[in-house]
Amino acid sequence: MIELKNIRKIYEANKFDRVTALDNINLTVQEGELIVLKGASGSGKSTILSLIAALSKPTSGEVIVDAKQISKLSDNFSSVYRRDNIGFIFQKYNLIPTLSVKDNILLPLVSLNPHAKEVEEKIQSVMKRFHIEHKENAIVRNLSGGEQQRVAIARAYVNNPKIIIADEPTANLDEKLSHHFIDILRELKALNKTIIIATHDPLFFGLDFVDRELEIHKGKIVL
Amino acid sequence: MILMPEVLTILILNVIFFIFAVIAFVLSVKIFLKWNFNSTDTSQYKLEKQSFLAATIIKYIFAIKVPLFLFFIFTLDKISHVLTGAMCGAGVVDATVYGTYLLILKIINLYLFAYWLMLHSADMKEESQPYTKLKFGVFIGAFFFFIPELILEGLMFSAIDIDRIVSCCGTLYSSSASSYISNIFLIDTPVLLALFYSNYLLILIFYFLKNRYLFAISNLIFILVSIVSLIAFFGTYIYELPTHHCPFCFLQKDYYYVGYAIYALLFGGTFYGLVVGFIDSKYKERIKNYNVSIFFTSLYVLLLSLYPIIYFIKNGVWL
Repeated sequence: MIELKNIRKIYEANKFDRVTALDNINLTVQEGELIVLKGASGSGKSTILSLIAALSKPTSGEVIVDAKQISKLSDNFSSVYRRDNIGFIFQKYNLIPTLSVKDNILLPLVSLNPHAKEVEEKIQSVMKRFHIEHKENAIVRNLSGGEQQRVAIARAYVNNPKIIIADEPTANLDEKLSHHFIDILRELKALNKTIIIATHDPLFFGLDFVDRELEIHKGKIVL
Repeated sequence: MILMPEVLTILILNVIFFIFAVIAFVLSVKIFLKWNFNSTDTSQYKLEKQSFLAATIIKYIFAIKVPLFLFFIFTLDKISHVLTGAMCGAGVVDATVYGTYLLILKIINLYLFAYWLMLHSADMKEESQPYTKLKFGVFIGAFFFFIPELILEGLMFSAIDIDRIVSCCGTLYSSSASSYISNIFLIDTPVLLALFYSNYLLILIFYFLKNRYLFAISNLIFILVSIVSLIAFFGTYIYELPTHHCPFCFLQKDYYYVGYAIYALLFGGTFYGLVVGFIDSKYKERIKNYNVSIFFTSLYVLLLSLYPIIYFIKNGVWL
């Protein structure tokens, strides 16, 4: 379970340049829930994601994941938390363009130092699940946008994270590929993953498998 | 003032250390007074960020300062080549009124800085950062030893007069000298050796009993006992001269720089021994510190013991 309690986040370049990104946010996400955070650019959606992923710390308040205060973790422990619990899907995929599909998917496993056979099995399994196995050795920069998105999803899924975070996942996809992404999302939801998506793409609104849609406006949850 | 490249390096580093240490000190006082890990308010999150900055500054200062001790000894040795009368670092230390105090302060700080580094390392291994307040408290205390060291170092190098004839180590570490060092030679050799080896035996016993406090105390005593034994007894076998007791000469090329190994083993072994007693680390970590300590100390004892044994085998007599 994810809990955000009385969260405030202020970006402060100096005393005269302060932006309140989140203002007294309280949010609880149950295990296996799929939540869509919607709102205009700069509303604070991505900031919520970055706090849940322990990529940044709040100015005040608590971020609790599975009873652990992750907003209090030092950098080293934040990295371990992310490695063990979070799968990321980014707007621009954030893949390493010069590596192959397989090597990109392998990346989250490297620090775990697992057995080679186990790694191979995991990679083959996720490539099949996300229909990218035929491109196993292809260099990522030569793939289409939709294929790159599937590699990004496979990478987010490969270490079997409890939480999947997607920040504007369809911003670079055409409508057909966006629909395909939504199908994948439905599959992930069926696997009981906790999924939080920040988006302003109307395709995500009103989907039957989405548990909640929350509107973020000027750093507050308004709906 | 003597301006050799080594001295300039130390002085420039000292200026940099001074600036950063003052920044870290101000932050440390704030953290020490206001730290409350359980709080989730703005000031605590700010302190957590500042603690990361302050700890990084202190870590790099101390991580450089600890090995810089050997560089300081090397510099003293190098200065001795240009000072009339000095045969090694001992003459340079004695050349000014600041030298002896600086050397003693440096040895104390060596342990203090290394202790802080261990404390920081232990703190970073726990999610709850249990040693944060303590480590910044230790730094606040260490700051008042650190700044005098920087000042004394500057004073010592600026007070060295190249035209003044200084005493050589043969005079300074002589049984006929009238200094406090000459008191060392009043101790009977068998008594001294009995003290040295029984102290080591105690360390071994407490190592096997895993009694951390007694292990640390016996290591603390061992620092003093072994330095005295080194000057009064073992040194003479390194030089193969019954009257030469200098603790600096064996840092020179003529003795294959063996002094660096001797001091590194002594300080390393006793330091980890003290860590066992002073830091309540996890069992696995403590066992590692026990092992490192006993390994270094045993090598130290073995290395020193070999010199008289080899001398006896070669010559058939003791010095």
